[in-house]
Amino acid sequence: MTSATGIKLETVSRSFEGRGTVVQALDNVSLDCPAGSFTALIGPSGCGKSTMLRLALGLDEATSGEIGIAGMRPQLAAKAGLTGVAFQDAALMPWRSVEDNIALPLNVLGRKRADFTAKITDLIELVGLKGFEKALPGELSGGMRQRVAIARALVTDPKVLFLDEPFGALDQILRRQMNLELQRIWMESRATTLLVTHGIDEAVFLADRVVVMQSRPGRIGRIIDIPLARPRLPEVFTTPEFHALEDQVAEALDGH
Amino acid sequence: MATETAPGAPSGKLKGKSGFRHSSAIRNAAILLVAWEILGRFKLVAGGALPAPTEVLVRFWSDRGDYPAHILATFQGASLGFLIGNGIAILAGILFAISPLAARLGRGLNVAMFALPPIAISPILVLTFAGMTPRVVLAALGCYFVTMSATVTGISQTDRRMLDVVRAYGGGRFALLRLVEIRAALPAILAGLRVAAPAAVLGSILAEFGGGGRFGLGVYLIGSLGRADPARLWGIGLAATAMALIAYGIFSVIEARITRSTRAVTVAATPPGRRAEGSRLSSIAITLASIALPFIVWWLLLKILGTPAMIAKTPAGVFDYLFIAASASSAQSRLLAALGQTLPMTLIGMAAGLAFAFALALASVVRPGIVRSFMPVALVTQTMPLVALTPLLVLLLGRGPSVILWITISVTFFPAFVTLAQGLGMVSRGALDVVRAYGASPWAQLRLVSIPASLPYLFAAMRLAVPRALLGVMIAEWLATGTGLGNLLNQSRGYLDYGMIWTVAVVSVLISVLFYQIVILVERHVLQKHGMQPAA
Repeated sequence: MTSATGIKLETVSRSFEGRGTVVQALDNVSLDCPAGSFTALIGPSGCGKSTMLRLALGLDEATSGEIGIAGMRPQLAAKAGLTGVAFQDAALMPWRSVEDNIALPLNVLGRKRADFTAKITDLIELVGLKGFEKALPGELSGGMRQRVAIARALVTDPKVLFLDEPFGALDQILRRQMNLELQRIWMESRATTLLVTHGIDEAVFLADRVVVMQSRPGRIGRIIDIPLARPRLPEVFTTPEFHALEDQVAEALDGH
Repeated sequence: MATETAPGAPSGKLKGKSGFRHSSAIRNAAILLVAWEILGRFKLVAGGALPAPTEVLVRFWSDRGDYPAHILATFQGASLGFLIGNGIAILAGILFAISPLAARLGRGLNVAMFALPPIAISPILVLTFAGMTPRVVLAALGCYFVTMSATVTGISQTDRRMLDVVRAYGGGRFALLRLVEIRAALPAILAGLRVAAPAAVLGSILAEFGGGGRFGLGVYLIGSLGRADPARLWGIGLAATAMALIAYGIFSVIEARITRSTRAVTVAATPPGRRAEGSRLSSIAITLASIALPFIVWWLLLKILGTPAMIAKTPAGVFDYLFIAASASSAQSRLLAALGQTLPMTLIGMAAGLAFAFALALASVVRPGIVRSFMPVALVTQTMPLVALTPLLVLLLGRGPSVILWITISVTFFPAFVTLAQGLGMVSRGALDVVRAYGASPWAQLRLVSIPASLPYLFAAMRLAVPRALLGVMIAEWLATGTGLGNLLNQSRGYLDYGMIWTVAVVSVLISVLFYQIVILVERHVLQKHGMQPAA
């Protein structure tokens, strides 16, 4: 494994056995995300994006192939505290307050909460939830919950960040805002990021590269480089280059 | 997230509705009390067997010196049993939830503990243990299944996404339990404890029926049965009910405080155990081991306790008594005669109880007013130690076979009704709207949507009803009619016929388990055919 904090998949396959049938969720997928890069995965439902993410997180085992996170097996990387993750649903624990939810990875990794007090305060401010430290998830709106999940993903200063449609449940306006925030956070931390998304504009706006996947069997169709300069401002959404890139991704999604 | 509730949004609306329900429940209760007073005052029911509430109160006041010692004794047995039974149940539930193999091995034990009619083993316990122990054991047994299955359900229904977050940071089995599962299961566990609390009171009272001890509400009830004093019997019955209700209420409050979410009123009646995986051979081995385990535990317990073999029959001892010993044929014929009386009553009572419950639950779909005014009564009755109040029913209905039927119907009807009404309440509005959009009448809606959708709940109600029906019949036989298995048990107790006491206990547990397994088999077959999942 070359990249010190990158993500590397080598000829990874994952099949599921149903009733008498075998579903090939991922077929011979290879992908290399260098350290500090931002990669977006996009594709129709059932193309194996989420399977790929679960494999990289160590939540699932590949049928064949090798996966390296910062040169380690996914579960070891997770135990070493190198990774951070935010899922589509905030997946907050309803009985924990905002700050306790953000501190959850520290509990799992057995780190001292006291060393992270300042960090948690900063993160809450970063995601714009100041004053809600003691609130329970049930008292927050959907967008606020999602921001807690993002803060939770960042609390360990991850070197590798996995985002599984983190803004999928948000409305378009909030989504744009969160995209801008995410870019800012990423540019500060430079964590290797893998974003699974359904939104073409989101993928093009955030990523260095957009990986377009195809289904049955789940595989990589095309990889499109996004050469837009950073920081990308909201105005970029309306530029012709942006639209051209969006069209490229859309074409690749159609299988061209 | 399903577990989160939007802050306060629908609560304003609900408040108004529940306020209305409150006032209508109070009005119904007031009407009931006035009617009861009139019936009692004019001795309209069974020649004064139903005393007026005021007469009961007057009697209660003049008996007030007796009550504290009896209530305290029952409370001690029930609370100690509650602590022990639930402690074991929660630990077992955690074990079964995290280890599918343990769940499959423990299935036989769990079914046996769910299905055993407490009255059947109460004489054994009284013979084997001294003092409070029989009460504690029966109270603990009453709690075990409810809380164990609530724990398993709670843990296994934990939101997968929360588990993923912890696992994504490398959290292992223990971290999952500590950080997510136990806390997520807390509402379910508390709901289990709430239902277990009255069950513990019932268990203690049933053990008191079996003898031993001078104090306890059960002792008081049995002791007063011979005196022609309906007002005292009713006073004791109401005291027992109040105890169960208070226990239920305390845990409802704790639960509401902690969960602040809607609470389930039904109890799971499925033992944990997942779909068999692995080879056919290992699956058969596990099933056999699971069946053998209850017998091994039975044998081991007797060995550990060191009870003399004359009193304590091992599985081999029971077999010897029933098939090999010189008196075997006489024992067999007595047992068969008793079964011939008990089994038909159990089946008829259960069928009638379920049929009433189903009919009323369906009627409540067509006319929701019925369920609104009836549900509070049904819920209160569920917490009532109904079986323990058999002497009251004897008073009302005499000692004929009809009392057996009424007791059996009453103990199966309420839980079945609550389960069914809940199930029908969960029929999706969307499905109903589809047929309504085509102008379906209420009955067509029932036929096309509600009845098919309630199938899983009908089976769940049946599973709940099986052991209760047998318990009801045996209690009525013991205390009222002097027939069947219940009487055989009581007689053998009098004659110190230890072999028969054990045989009746074992046979009644086996019958209950057998009925239960038949329901499960039919359920699996029918639901699979309809592509449905069993209701918990």
